[in-house]
Amino acid sequence: MKIVVCIKQVPDSWADKKLSPEDSTLDRASVDRVLNELDEYAVEAALQLTEAHGGDVTVLTMGPEDAAEALRRALSMGADAGIHLIDDGLSGTDAVGTSYALAQVLQSREFDLVIFGSESTDARMSVVPAMVAERLSLPQLTFAGKVEVDGGTVRIQRVTDYGYDEVEASTPALVSVVEKINEPRYPSFKGIMAAKKKPVEKLTLADAGIDASQVGLAQAWSAVDSFAARPPREKGTIVEDGGDGGAKIAEFLSTQKFI
Amino acid sequence: MVPTPSLGQTELMDFSIPEELTALRASFAAFLEREVRPLDESLQTEYWSEHPDREVIHDAAQRIRLRSAQEGFYAAYLPEEVGGQGLSTLGTALLVEDAARTGMRLALAAISPPNPAGPSPLLLRLPTHVRDAWLPALVSAEKSMCFALTEPEAGSDAQAIRTTAVKDGDGWRINGHKHYITNAEHADVAIVFAVTDAEKRAAGGITAFLVPSDQFRRGSVQYTHADSHPAELFFDDAWVADDHVIGEVGTGFFTAMEFLNAGRAHIGAQALGLAEYCLDIAIAHAQSRTAFGKPIGKFQSVSFPLADSKADIEAMRWLVYHLAWEVDRGDNPMLDASIVKYYCTEKAYTVADRALQTLGGMGLLREGPVERVLRHLRMLRVVEGSTSIQQLVISRGLGL
Repeated sequence: MKIVVCIKQVPDSWADKKLSPEDSTLDRASVDRVLNELDEYAVEAALQLTEAHGGDVTVLTMGPEDAAEALRRALSMGADAGIHLIDDGLSGTDAVGTSYALAQVLQSREFDLVIFGSESTDARMSVVPAMVAERLSLPQLTFAGKVEVDGGTVRIQRVTDYGYDEVEASTPALVSVVEKINEPRYPSFKGIMAAKKKPVEKLTLADAGIDASQVGLAQAWSAVDSFAARPPREKGTIVEDGGDGGAKIAEFLSTQKFI
Repeated sequence: MVPTPSLGQTELMDFSIPEELTALRASFAAFLEREVRPLDESLQTEYWSEHPDREVIHDAAQRIRLRSAQEGFYAAYLPEEVGGQGLSTLGTALLVEDAARTGMRLALAAISPPNPAGPSPLLLRLPTHVRDAWLPALVSAEKSMCFALTEPEAGSDAQAIRTTAVKDGDGWRINGHKHYITNAEHADVAIVFAVTDAEKRAAGGITAFLVPSDQFRRGSVQYTHADSHPAELFFDDAWVADDHVIGEVGTGFFTAMEFLNAGRAHIGAQALGLAEYCLDIAIAHAQSRTAFGKPIGKFQSVSFPLADSKADIEAMRWLVYHLAWEVDRGDNPMLDASIVKYYCTEKAYTVADRALQTLGGMGLLREGPVERVLRHLRMLRVVEGSTSIQQLVISRGLGL
């Protein structure tokens, strides 16, 4: 079976993030960048499926030069090939534009499954997988905590607030996964060395047949008009207990409208 | 590593870490944080307790060993043909350093070197069928081993060992008593050094054997002030077949020497990582603890010793990396190996001691972040060739 996993390089979740004063987008240069954590689970799910059923895994990412590091990490986990959609015209593309660009790349490829992590740790919208499925008219099996393939049928357990739903569809289909699905493997030295020899195809907007007027910051459906740094934390109020501490705290809470 | 290109008579010096090793460090760091840290934190009170449950701690370390082996970190330094990953000495040293720098006791279980419980490269000198009978289970951490050289009357002067191996049929009969043997308590197999020619001794009269645990008897556990407690081993008419000789008869010391330099790089890397951990802790404390109206790091009596520590650490780092690089190049840097073992273990101990002093009372507490590390570093100055022995080797290198 052929699987394409869509992955994203994101700022380290623990990093102190800030916006760039030039275009009000996230300043990615100032923080460590990592493979989106949920995408590791997506890659692992794909690898487990091809290990069980045969086939190959291609990882697809859209992003600047540095995003190649995310591809390399996925390749060192065991994916077979990479596609890097890279073009200055993509900078600042929102979720709608991203889904269009990814769908344009995917539509010319042969696959049984497209797998996504259910969200990225920077945007946290969880909409791109559904949008891509819609654009490609694929069945969407989102928020999978378990995935199985049986011939031309893919079956998932969709994790919900109350437990899970069993959902199945015929392939080709799109699956997004949650962290419950597996424990991603760590790239080993052998895997890292092997990844250096794996093919990575670089595509520009023109190569992928992407209409430049549909992507980029100017086409985003929302814009940041202005932003301000978070104000520093104010010094707390210290109440000294001279026998009337309880009353003073009650007064404070009342002033702050907690009680 | 590939030798750097030459420019006339001058060889280029390249201090950069290869990108594949940087990627491997990131992968190993994720393993340590996701899998080792939660387990290590859950055992903190066990570590501090007056009577720690050693089995609980041993089981936790074993879990880490098994998982690390599954992910290919534990014995990555062995060649691929025996289940390793062919990782260079430099790559292994970096992983050892990173494990140590976390300050987690269990992190040191995640990577075999320099722990003798893991598969020794000496096993590569066994006949293939014997090597392959033992190595897979040692590489996967399902089994462990020990290195049995030291005896009550033979420590630094290792050629004075009294354990004997006498030819008996198509094998060898071994008798003797070993002590201070790390992991003797749990080892499934031991590398045992015995005298096979009393006349020649170190010059061709000492042989290394692979001895399964059904051929030896475990003696008392020898409790130390550190976390690792060695034990005694007794060989009472133990018998192993000829094919259990490691290398050739009489070449025990020479075979061990083949791998000694890499081992020294790994010990140096552990000392380096622990020193970095101690300095990290000391800096954080010096910045956050206030006394007399300002952070204590603003007092020179606190900041200057930590500046010394930083300088010491950078010197250690480049000694270790350079030694590892020499080993990977195929050199035999015996003198540098002794300098690394001597300098790194001594300096790391000093760095830890300065950190303890910075922490004040908290530094003395068993539940504090440095006390355990200081005890471990004190041990490293004694084991695997004491400081005095390294000084002896270095001074001989000076022609003295």
